Amino acid sequence: MKTICGHCRGIPQTRRDFLRVGALSFLGINLSDFLRHRSAGTLALAGPAAVRSEAKAQSVILIWLEGGISHLDSWDVKANSGFRPVATNANGVQVSEVFPGIAKHMDSLSIIRSMKSDERNHPQGTIQTLTGHRPNPALKFPSFGSIVSKERGARNNMPPFVVVPTPTEGDFFNYQEAYQASFIGSEYDAMVLPDPSQPNFQLPNLNLPKTLSVDAIHDRRTMLGIVDRHFRQKENLAEFVKMDAFQEQALKMLLDPKVKEAFDLSRESDKTKDRYGRHRVGQSVLLARRLVEAGCRFVTAAGYKHGQWDTHDDNDKRLRDTLAPLLDRSLSALMEDLKQRGLLESTVVLVTGEFGRTPVINPKGGRDHWPDCWSLLVGGGGIRGGCIVGASDKDGATVAERPVSIGDLYATVYKALGIEWTKSYMSPIARPVYIANGFDDTLGTPLKELI
Amino acid sequence: MRMKALGSGFFAGYLVMAGGLSAHAAQEAKALLGLVSLRLLPDSATLWGARASQQFVLLGKYADGLERDLTSSASFSVSDPKRGTIRNPGQFVSETSGLAVLTAKVGNRVAKAALRVEDADKLRQTTFVPDVQRILTKRSCNDATCHGGVKGRGGFKLSLHGIYPKDDYKAIVAGGTFRVLTVEDHPKSPRVDPQHPEKSLLMKKPALEVAHEGGMRLEPGSPDYQALVQWIRSGTPFGDEAEMRVPAVERVEVLPREIVLQGGAQQQLVVTAHLSNGRQEDITEQVQYVTNNASVADVSETGVVQAKKKGETNILIRTPGYTLSADVGVVDKPIDEYPAIAARNYIDRHVFAKLRTFQILPSELSGDQEFLRRVCLDLTGTLPPPERVREFVADKNSQKRDRLIETLLDSAEYVDYWSFRFGDLLRATYVTSNNTKSTRAYQNWITNSIATNKPYDQIARERIGAQGYSAPARNFYYISELTTPDVLMPELIRLFMGRRIECSQCHNHPFEAWSQNQYWGLAAFFAGYTEVRDSTLIIDVLGGGHVDQPKDVMVVNPRSKQKVVPAFLDGTQLPPSEWMDPRRHLANWVTSHPYFAEATVNRLLSFFFGRGIVEPVDDFRSTNPPTHPELLRALAKDFRDSGFNLKHLMRTMVQSRTYQLSATPNENNKDDRMGYSHGRARPLEAAVLLDAITSVTGVPEKFEIHPIAGGGDAPVGTRAMHTITDICPSQFMDDFGRSTRRALPSGSPQPSLAEALHMMSGPVFNAKITREGGRLSALLKKNVSDEEILNEFFVAALTRLPTSEEKTELLQLLGQRSQRREETLAGLVWAIVNSREFAYNH
Repeated sequence: MKTICGHCRGIPQTRRDFLRVGALSFLGINLSDFLRHRSAGTLALAGPAAVRSEAKAQSVILIWLEGGISHLDSWDVKANSGFRPVATNANGVQVSEVFPGIAKHMDSLSIIRSMKSDERNHPQGTIQTLTGHRPNPALKFPSFGSIVSKERGARNNMPPFVVVPTPTEGDFFNYQEAYQASFIGSEYDAMVLPDPSQPNFQLPNLNLPKTLSVDAIHDRRTMLGIVDRHFRQKENLAEFVKMDAFQEQALKMLLDPKVKEAFDLSRESDKTKDRYGRHRVGQSVLLARRLVEAGCRFVTAAGYKHGQWDTHDDNDKRLRDTLAPLLDRSLSALMEDLKQRGLLESTVVLVTGEFGRTPVINPKGGRDHWPDCWSLLVGGGGIRGGCIVGASDKDGATVAERPVSIGDLYATVYKALGIEWTKSYMSPIARPVYIANGFDDTLGTPLKELI
Repeated sequence: MRMKALGSGFFAGYLVMAGGLSAHAAQEAKALLGLVSLRLLPDSATLWGARASQQFVLLGKYADGLERDLTSSASFSVSDPKRGTIRNPGQFVSETSGLAVLTAKVGNRVAKAALRVEDADKLRQTTFVPDVQRILTKRSCNDATCHGGVKGRGGFKLSLHGIYPKDDYKAIVAGGTFRVLTVEDHPKSPRVDPQHPEKSLLMKKPALEVAHEGGMRLEPGSPDYQALVQWIRSGTPFGDEAEMRVPAVERVEVLPREIVLQGGAQQQLVVTAHLSNGRQEDITEQVQYVTNNASVADVSETGVVQAKKKGETNILIRTPGYTLSADVGVVDKPIDEYPAIAARNYIDRHVFAKLRTFQILPSELSGDQEFLRRVCLDLTGTLPPPERVREFVADKNSQKRDRLIETLLDSAEYVDYWSFRFGDLLRATYVTSNNTKSTRAYQNWITNSIATNKPYDQIARERIGAQGYSAPARNFYYISELTTPDVLMPELIRLFMGRRIECSQCHNHPFEAWSQNQYWGLAAFFAGYTEVRDSTLIIDVLGGGHVDQPKDVMVVNPRSKQKVVPAFLDGTQLPPSEWMDPRRHLANWVTSHPYFAEATVNRLLSFFFGRGIVEPVDDFRSTNPPTHPELLRALAKDFRDSGFNLKHLMRTMVQSRTYQLSATPNENNKDDRMGYSHGRARPLEAAVLLDAITSVTGVPEKFEIHPIAGGGDAPVGTRAMHTITDICPSQFMDDFGRSTRRALPSGSPQPSLAEALHMMSGPVFNAKITREGGRLSALLKKNVSDEEILNEFFVAALTRLPTSEEKTELLQLLGQRSQRREETLAGLVWAIVNSREFAYNH
């Protein structure tokens, strides 16, 4: 007999964590186009969908609070919290006392206090929050980041969708579909990076062998052209063309010093690294800033370890001693940098986990899972800061005002990015899928309070 | 209104000559040119009730091998005019009861069909079943995207394509008034109003008299509109099955089922419902037609197929409870003197017959080198070493291909490769909550099953029915993370029966007549595996006491909240006396079901031919018809008759000429993707590719064992296909899309940026090429010429010598780089192992 806790399993790492490198939108390029572009020395990306011109946002940073943050002890402090609410720099907006740094940036961030979802367990909740859909045995849905990547397209030779580091490490398989593009194409899968706080951090295979000269690379490609010509005359599959485009892209990444630079944290000063926090969490947020600056569309900073916010026991202590300080430090450093570098206008910042936590403290001093009513932070990229959307009841147990679905949240972010939020994709099983999937599979709508 | 057949290029020459004749005579004369024979479809018909009608189609067989629809150029007559009259071309309408013969005439050629008219004095009442249901289906009202969707539309829910008539009847006829949801102050209307039929919501909505999201569906005054009005006025009769006035539809047939047309030509379809009282009914105008590919062939509302451009597609035909299809091939000019192509076995007979019908010429037989590389990769997952290539090419024995096939089937590499492939399918993997002993025991069971060529039905039975300590296949359940019955069951149906039943977990299947009850009934066979205690999921597959007890053999249907006992797809429940060991019965049922053999041969076929007869291989459904239905049945029968012998099946496939056709297409077949007219390129699996690079470079890959499995190095001689995904980490195989074995493999891996980066800068493509002791370093030490090195690597990697063009260009480049010869030779090997020719089997 074996026993597994249905959730929150303490699981050993099963394999060296793999890098799934997602890629750019090369679909739709035919061979002659490709060859023409290759001879011209450039490769045009398949154009992204039309973008509304008034949109300010270019990219999204999601700070992922793995395990589910207690809304009652953070953004919606109630009498049943062990913490006090404190004033912030935004008029009438209060947050928990454990976030003194974030309190100084609340004019740029808004709180949604009436999030409501369905799934009560981590893998399912993660999938719902990150795809807008409850898991379904017949269909896997594209990730939010994949949709943004597809709709806005890649830029500057950078991969559009990056997750850093591997989320839910040790049990990633059960969560993987939350970061995948599913039927919209593997080129929009998340590229998952290793832990950037490790001293030897680098992107695997992003370094050509030192002995390989540029001339030798050129020769290799010339010879590849000669060897493959015979076969290609017989058969030219769409996959070959796609592979050519990926090779071209890979070479550009390898030879473009800016790409390598974007992934190179050693270019940040010790002082900056300290400001974010010398830890998986802080360094992931710092890297997210660098990647967005370099051209990524959607970066998920997933520095918290598997289940780290999953405070079934010692909720208050864990929050006060570890969890909140890490978030307070990294998020305020990010907000400072984005403002100072003029990036806040073009970068949506989203801070959430997969659900909230129970209003009632359990016998172990913890809080359990609670999707019925929870809170998150969102701002930047033209999304209004300093607002509070919706409200919970007096215990934070149910939504009292303006229930907000994951789809409403997505629609708000899409609108900021200039993406047509009413779109749906046709899935391979002939079921249309809204990109902003709201309550009961209806269309979500942007929150007019915020955009 | 039926469309008239258009003149096609075939007749163009004659048109000039026929200039002076009357229009009909000209048409007839034109039709006669090259006409060999005529046939009428159907060849007999029974018509029941007053003014019943039957559409006939006249097909002419021509010297060029094509059949053409001559219905509109023929003259039709009835032997006894009292029986009835001809309305539109080929359409007979009855008047009095009795027998008659219908004759169709073109020139002096005739074709006949027998007519029987019964009860011609009896008016047939319009009833809900089948008439109203047919109208709702034909007009897409009960389609998945409209009211037939899982939640219905606008508060009005119908069953998909009318599969549950009683529910639909209730939804339409049951009392109550309904607001027109899209207009706020609109008065409420009843769905049906017998006093004022036209004021019924059922009429006003589809006729767009009030707002209707679905738009105009029913033109006022049309025959369907009149029929609905009449049905409501007559008191909305359901249809009285007891009096046999509305006999059940037992079968629906479309004629012709296989159509080959030239671009621009047309073909009328005839759809017949066969009823439980032995009668038949022409429902050509009462069904919905949908083309699967409108750019190849389109279809009108009345069933006239219009050929557009060269290709193949299906016309789906929907009527309540049934979806069927007609295959349509659109061809260019027919081939003059289509050659006879010798068949080696029944696969060839089926494939070549269809190619001939569709006027596609198969490619030549593959050359020896092409065949050798393909069959070695397909049967053993390995490349033939250079000395074997030379030996095979030199062998003059006419039986050498068959002999090679036997050698490969008996090789140790065959066991390795198919153990790996079935390891992917049967999912031998390590997961977090398990120990590696289980994984290895399970993989060993797979390997032993392949090594002994265990009958596949036995493999399936052992896996599905595994129970107790001694059954090695029980480890699947032990290592599986799919711990609940509702996820174990659909995987099994998908793997062994080729059906995707997942949709019906939450609602009745949108495209198939699978209900939620059937889903949970099947899932209940696994109910004994798991139990939730104190919110902890407990899995016990060892028979340790609390499982497999009768109390556990039930699951709860989440929608109805009812307990469901184990029941097969046809609804037969497993008797309680058998509840101690339910999965044994499930295993017997699965392996004796016709789906089992069909799903297996289809999957195997896709391995060898790059495409299954049904594609995706595990998505059999009525709306996804097979390309070669007879071949599928023949293969399944052969597989069953052989005792589910996997080697026999593989041998039959690779011995066929179809398998051995060259991958070089000809002008005529280059666009063919479904006809098996030429060999098809298929990507090598990640493990096969890694092993292939190892064999070309001559540098073994070193595998590590993950610390969870004890750590350290894998034994010397471990090949990539020996590894179990989570026990042997491999960046290469991950980047090249190896199966995680956490779910059934779905399709071949797609190219990715990770793969491309790996090719540029990964160790497999760099250090491995130049390593001391490898093929390149050995050749360099021997001081051989560039040309010898070039030849050696081409043969080792591509099973061929370079063409003279390749040789000239490559040697020239190597000559120019003599000052950095080694680096450039390493680059050459890099280019060879990065070529698509290398990375694919073809």
